[in-house]
Amino acid sequence: MIEALLIKLVIAAVVFGGVLNLAGLHTWVERKQSALIQDRIGANRAPIFGFKLLGLFHAVADAIKMFTKEDVVPRGVDRTLHALAPFFSVFFALVAFAAIPFGPQLVLGERVIDLQVAKIDAALLYIFAMLSLGVYGVILAGFASRNNYAIMGSIRATAQMISYEIALGIALIGVLMVYGTMDLGKAVEAQGHTIAGGWIPLWGIVAQPVGFVVFLTAALAETKRLPFDLPEGESEIIGYFVEYSGMKFGMFFLTDFLETILVACLATTLFFGGWQVPYLQPDGFHFPWGAELPLANWIYVLLGVTSFTIKVLAFCFVFMQIRWTLPRFRYDQLMDLGWKGLFPIAVVNVLVTAVVMILLGGGA
Amino acid sequence: MPELSIDGRKVNVPEGTTVIEAAEQLGIFVPRYCYHPGLSTAGNCRMCMVDVENSPKPQIACNLPATEGMVVETESEQARKDRAAVLEFLLANHPLDCPVCDQAGECDLQNYYMSFGLYDPRFGEQKVKKQKAIEVGPHVMLDQERCILCSRCVRFTDEITKTGEFGIFNRGDRAEVGLYPGETLDNPYSANVVDLCPVGALTERSFRFKARVWYLSSTESVCGGCSRGCNTELHHVSNRPHLNDGERLLRVKPRHNPDVNQWWMCDEGRYGHDWIDVDRLGEVRRRTDEASRRQVESTWEAALDGVGTALSAGGARVGVIASAELTNEDLFCLREVLGAHLGARIALPPAPAGGTSDDFLIRPDKTPNRKGATLLGIPDAATPSAEALVDAAIAGELDVLWVFGHDLVELVGAEKTRAAAVGECLLVYSGTNDHATVSLAHWVLPSAAAVEQDGTFVNCDGRVQRVGRALAPYGDSRENRRFLLEIAARTGTPAREDWNGPAGVFATMAEAVGSFAGMSYESIGDQGAHSAPSEALAEAEQS
Amino acid sequence: MAVKVVQRPQLTFWEKLYIPQILCGLRITFRHFFRNLFLHIAHRFGRKTDVRAGVTYQYPEELRPLFSRLRTRHRLMVRGNGAPRCVGCMLCETVCPAKCITIVPAEHPDPDVEKFPVRFDINLGVCVYCGYCVEVCPEDAIRMDTGILDIAATSREAMKLDLHELMNPELRKPVAACGLDFPHQCGVHGGELRGSWEETLAALTHPE
Repeated sequence: MIEALLIKLVIAAVVFGGVLNLAGLHTWVERKQSALIQDRIGANRAPIFGFKLLGLFHAVADAIKMFTKEDVVPRGVDRTLHALAPFFSVFFALVAFAAIPFGPQLVLGERVIDLQVAKIDAALLYIFAMLSLGVYGVILAGFASRNNYAIMGSIRATAQMISYEIALGIALIGVLMVYGTMDLGKAVEAQGHTIAGGWIPLWGIVAQPVGFVVFLTAALAETKRLPFDLPEGESEIIGYFVEYSGMKFGMFFLTDFLETILVACLATTLFFGGWQVPYLQPDGFHFPWGAELPLANWIYVLLGVTSFTIKVLAFCFVFMQIRWTLPRFRYDQLMDLGWKGLFPIAVVNVLVTAVVMILLGGGA
Repeated sequence: MPELSIDGRKVNVPEGTTVIEAAEQLGIFVPRYCYHPGLSTAGNCRMCMVDVENSPKPQIACNLPATEGMVVETESEQARKDRAAVLEFLLANHPLDCPVCDQAGECDLQNYYMSFGLYDPRFGEQKVKKQKAIEVGPHVMLDQERCILCSRCVRFTDEITKTGEFGIFNRGDRAEVGLYPGETLDNPYSANVVDLCPVGALTERSFRFKARVWYLSSTESVCGGCSRGCNTELHHVSNRPHLNDGERLLRVKPRHNPDVNQWWMCDEGRYGHDWIDVDRLGEVRRRTDEASRRQVESTWEAALDGVGTALSAGGARVGVIASAELTNEDLFCLREVLGAHLGARIALPPAPAGGTSDDFLIRPDKTPNRKGATLLGIPDAATPSAEALVDAAIAGELDVLWVFGHDLVELVGAEKTRAAAVGECLLVYSGTNDHATVSLAHWVLPSAAAVEQDGTFVNCDGRVQRVGRALAPYGDSRENRRFLLEIAARTGTPAREDWNGPAGVFATMAEAVGSFAGMSYESIGDQGAHSAPSEALAEAEQS
Repeated sequence: MAVKVVQRPQLTFWEKLYIPQILCGLRITFRHFFRNLFLHIAHRFGRKTDVRAGVTYQYPEELRPLFSRLRTRHRLMVRGNGAPRCVGCMLCETVCPAKCITIVPAEHPDPDVEKFPVRFDINLGVCVYCGYCVEVCPEDAIRMDTGILDIAATSREAMKLDLHELMNPELRKPVAACGLDFPHQCGVHGGELRGSWEETLAALTHPE
């Protein structure tokens, strides 16, 4: 029993440590990637003992700065809520990662270990719940600031998040129908099948291309990333965290990156086969032309984890690229897109999926 | 009376008038270098050439007598071409000195070249080198290269001063103006050659490199150097204190007035303005310690209160030593405020003997307004001499002795001055410059100099002329009139509010003083007007 | 009132779909990204160094190339004998719209030069870098070609340049020693008049 607990603790440590570090790295990636896109050089200073490492230490410097900066709390605010709001944001973003399976089952002797912090049957619902609770951070931040602009910013942000949550949820119903499960681990396993004579792996993107696009768009809006960053609008628009400074602001900032990674993980898990590698079965590679390459379980797991990591990083990269490509939506356009664009498309997608599944006779 | 036509306009002129003078009457300006109305005609610069109908070649306007029916064109194509050609000749050997030349900006070569120059030069040869920067006299610097041989300066020394220092030597392009051997240009009117010189050949040594002429502001005024009252232009700079070692007045130029000084002025008056910026009294001083007679800086408020209290004490016996350097307006206020109301006895020391003079402009009396004081009744027959006033002060018969401008040490000797200073009598001094009397006074009130205020002088011939306010009063100094009016307010003397301006005082003065009857500050104008005693001249002016 | 009808561009079907347009945008950003990434890596290996990967100049270490006509800090041209070429004509002082130039001229021993400045100050805190002084100078005595752009000081006083710094742009405030041997109002020595013409003229029998 203690052994199982220790294993869970290790897994949790690895996941949260990895995710937090990735979020930290995001600040660096954000700077460097935008610099390359815009023909600049980007942050390249902050040397430690003369080593600059392409400016990687700027992330460290940022963290130090955030921690040592004066934490300004405006007069008259609700101090408890004001302190609690950024914590809520980060907490719910972080715990959502518990349900993400980042590798196949590892078999060590007799013990079978799920590479997942918490194996939850209704993992998808759990993640949704956590994402929705993230709204609390936003609304509390605006409410606790005792600042009209902050409240307006938070109301705007809340409206946006709630609106897109609907499109997001409905977009995923199609996926649920295809996989027939809410368990993300099982959903990933379901994507191990192939079609077209074994040539094409049946990933979510193949089964639900429209769902994927809707999901991706809604997820970007849900995480308040560009082109949907109206609630934040770092330099131009008054947002819900105007009255925050120092590490409290840093936590909102961190939440932003965590949610981006979470969406990348979800997109990978649901639409890009999670830890699946094309043609790789638990016992080895089964290529469509008939060749086979048997592999040990630990190599299989290693390949799976690597595959998952690479896919997530690739999504992060693409999100970042989109962030530096597209201009921001206007608020009315944002609402139009959510309610008049994504929502009907998602509903139609569910209907079409149901009809197709009945026609194929594969559905329950 | 021949009638001729210049540029299509007809003009009647007396017999013997030259065309250039006739054109002047029409307001047509013909460019000239050698011609000067105050000198004989030389006709050597050829700049004033004009087109005359039926004349085979252009004629010089300065030496062409006007004849009946003459038709002259000054702006015809031919005339302009002639000028361009003349300028080309004159500039052949003229150095490109404009950046370092003090004449630049008021140079006739520059000005005419702008209008008529040959902008595409054809001169490829070497210019003839001559001597530069020759000190020909105490006031004048000669640059032979820049000279265009107009001979104005030669004619001036021959005809006006009759000293004949200058001559033109050598021939052709080596001709140069210079001094005769053994001569120095040190006659009392030497600096007039600088004004005459149309180019930068003759420049003033005192003004040399002090400023560029376009920095100068100009104010019309009257020279205070002697009782002649030559009309002047004061050239000053207020916004560039680094120039001229901080002195504000840079130079004085004579101003044309046919009735006083014509075009000229003497060197003594021209260069006698150092006192305006040197050793000036800039702050009110008060004696603090009777024994050591130590003075400290004080304020106008304190000084006016102190002096006013002493003056208004019942039965105060007041003596005033006035100065002929004061303007009529100051003297009038002095007379009204101190004399008429407070019963002050006003003395005016006579001009010191031995002042230089000649039969041209320079007068022996070196004060500018003695005539004006006389017209205002200062001193009248009843007032004692300055010495008598000082004696009265020593004897304790005076409560206040107010000295304007004069150095008592010069007037009555150091011993008496000191005796007057240690007595019971309150010694008030107001004046422009620092000297021995200043340190002995109980109160020192700094006055503005004549060029720092508006007012009028009456010259030796009885001509009332306006002094222009060129500069702001030095330091904390104030116009005499201004603090006399303040004293009036403190002693209960009736003084009129419009006396704050010179015109207002003058108007009252014209009412009160017969000699100024019928004049106003405006009617005097920039050329002056004669006061009443010289009635014959005044009538001549009116006609 | 005239009404101007503005034709707003109508989106086509494919544009309304957003996705093709987003892909177009991404194509541009991806192209830049991978081009610059490739160039940066190539530069690490010393290749393709003639192509810049970014437009950035790393300022304190790497100075931006200056266009030859750029107006930078002033300098006074110097004659062969170490005296200024300036003849103190004060045209620059006259033309200066900011009135930042102060010149005090004096007599030069050579009558062919006649005039020179014993004091020539430019107050850079006031200067507007219009270049009129250069334009107007009849002697080509003042130029604005030193390439010095980092003009900053901690006091207004230090923004004022005198003959020392103007004749030798290498000098920076505070100037410690005076190397001028002709007469001048020496800013190094508190404005007193220093130097004589003998040494300066002995250095060269005739100016350049």
